[in-house]
Amino acid sequence: MTAALKRAGASAAVLAAVLALNFFLFRIMPGDPITGIVDPRFSPEAKAQLAAQWGLDRPMSEQFAVYVKEMLSFRFGLSMMTGAPVWDELKRRVPNTVALLLPALALSSALGIWLGVKAALNRGSALESAVLLSGAVSFSFPSFFVQLLLLMCFAYYWRLFPLSGTTSIPPPPGGMAILDYLWHLALPLFSLVVMGFGGFALYIRNMMVKALGEEYVLMARARGLPFRRVVWNHAFRSMLPPVLTILLLSLPGVVSGAVITETVFSMNGVGRFLLEATNSHDYPSAGAAFFLLALLTVGCNLLADVAYVLVDPRARRTGARD
Amino acid sequence: MKKAEKIKNAKRLMSVLSLALLAALAAIGSTPLGLKDGQVAPPYSKPHWLDSKVASTIELRVSSSDGDSAALSWVYSPPLRVWLTGTLGAGSAVRWDTPSGDFTLTREPGEIDLDFRDIPFKRALGISPFHDMAHALFPSRGEYALSLAGSGDAVMRIEGGRWGLLGTDHRGRDVAALFVMGLRVSLIVGIAATLIATLLGLSLGLLSGYAGGLTDALIMRAVDVLLSIPTLPILMVIAGIWGKDLWSLVVILSIFSWMGTARTVRAMTLSLRDSSWVEGLRAIGAPRGYILFRHLVPETLPLLLANVALGVPGSILAEAGLSFLGLSDPRLPSWGRMLHDAHMFGAFTSGAWWSILPAGIGISFICLIFMDIGHKLEEMADPRLAALTKRKTIEETS
Repeated sequence: MTAALKRAGASAAVLAAVLALNFFLFRIMPGDPITGIVDPRFSPEAKAQLAAQWGLDRPMSEQFAVYVKEMLSFRFGLSMMTGAPVWDELKRRVPNTVALLLPALALSSALGIWLGVKAALNRGSALESAVLLSGAVSFSFPSFFVQLLLLMCFAYYWRLFPLSGTTSIPPPPGGMAILDYLWHLALPLFSLVVMGFGGFALYIRNMMVKALGEEYVLMARARGLPFRRVVWNHAFRSMLPPVLTILLLSLPGVVSGAVITETVFSMNGVGRFLLEATNSHDYPSAGAAFFLLALLTVGCNLLADVAYVLVDPRARRTGARD
Repeated sequence: MKKAEKIKNAKRLMSVLSLALLAALAAIGSTPLGLKDGQVAPPYSKPHWLDSKVASTIELRVSSSDGDSAALSWVYSPPLRVWLTGTLGAGSAVRWDTPSGDFTLTREPGEIDLDFRDIPFKRALGISPFHDMAHALFPSRGEYALSLAGSGDAVMRIEGGRWGLLGTDHRGRDVAALFVMGLRVSLIVGIAATLIATLLGLSLGLLSGYAGGLTDALIMRAVDVLLSIPTLPILMVIAGIWGKDLWSLVVILSIFSWMGTARTVRAMTLSLRDSSWVEGLRAIGAPRGYILFRHLVPETLPLLLANVALGVPGSILAEAGLSFLGLSDPRLPSWGRMLHDAHMFGAFTSGAWWSILPAGIGISFICLIFMDIGHKLEEMADPRLAALTKRKTIEETS
């Protein structure tokens, strides 16, 4: 179980780094908070009283400790845009972001794996060239450009999908609301999958080509096992740990992509909230949204770690990962 | 096989040539190409070649020095807007000849700046204030002429729906000029940020690999942490706080993209550190700095070069992403900014695909070029790498 502890420690380190970054970034910006918020004609005594009231006269370390405690209990303070608690604002947006991210991740990795394996089995085919091309596209095309094109074709010229939003305004009643939600989700999700599967497919293809040349694959084939079984139960099974590592490494990028996607499609998610908060200099909201996105990444990371232990028997024994 | 090799080489040559071409374009800039920044034509004017039924935005110039008449053959419907500017000497007049009648536009001496929507101007020509003057001045197809009797100069600006090579954006700026300026920004940010990041990665990787121990552990944990934080939100927050100018963007981008290089360099340093020839160097008393900079750094250089080329697309895409989100200097045209404007100001609800495609294709193309060159460099660096690992395995087995 030391392996699990180690992974939990790594996640905690990431969270600590995010919190520290959040805390210090907003404190090294020019100007102190008091002058930013109150009337500059306030007397020095009144300012000092306000500083004491907000705890700004305490030492930095104590402020940081309080900050960490508040962040971890999801008390993010009041939004400067709306005056409402930031968590109330975010609470409504988190499900929308998760509903975009997780299916996108699942679909693009599934499609990537399937096409990658297919490409490795049919070397020199048109499919393989297509996979190679889609890999290059996913590494070099900006996602927002592709999304703008999709939006232009499917939402503006052909009007199959809505131009923006998470739901229609007002949302249709009853069960239609779910369909309406899915209808709004379809194009962003599709764009994320289109931009995401190429990278996976490329990796999988390369690993599969290598694995198919290994001796244990030859051995499995010599034993007369069905080719399908050799590919999936032997070659692919042994590839799972590195595949998961790649999935893990791509997570931050996927979360970053969600921010842009939500902006392009004007979806009501955490990423767009972060952008709006940044643009209106609403620091509590921006900090909280960033913290939540990092938390989401760390959560997915932990999930992948659990999966890692499941697919790699060595990880269960020794905790070795690389 | 031979044919495939040939195609591959041709492709490589193409990418190197296109990169050189783009770099030259960026170095020349938009002004010598005759492209103006700032407003040049009505918003979302079409590209010149797109629709020949629409009038182009043109300027007719007449002056007493070089001829006093400018002819125009007009085959379109009346233009959107017309202006007359210039200076007139005393007793001079600007005339406008149309197929169905002639106008004397002005005899007022001194500076003239007349918008054809001005009511006093319409009254002076005897046109009803409620009448569209463009229809009166451009009644039909045929030959028109602007002429100047006397001294001075005058410019008649006729605004239509077409402009230049790539049309105009929402503010009437020439998309071709913006494209060239955006190319410059992309190249500067991409290359500068990647170079700084590579230097950072090289020094931290060397330090980590050679020093080992606590330093190594700290740096590698920092790499792990930075690799598992989503970068774009962080960049957004920092850009929002620290300001948006080009060079702070470069610094921010490089701070968050050195990790891969550091890992690679560390791995190489580790394998080299324990190799027998470095041990030999140490044994003859070579100082640490000498071993590091005369022997280890040159060993890593080919791979670093490939790393730079492969890292540039990441920086370019990150810069474009930030600009697309509106977190760049609004005065500095960049490709991401162009797409931001197109998205924010309804380019495709105006059907103005020409303000979306050039920027997007530009980003994708330049990234593809750098990836291609990077892979080539990697392949060139690889034989040495392969030799290196082979050497190590031989040592291990012996």
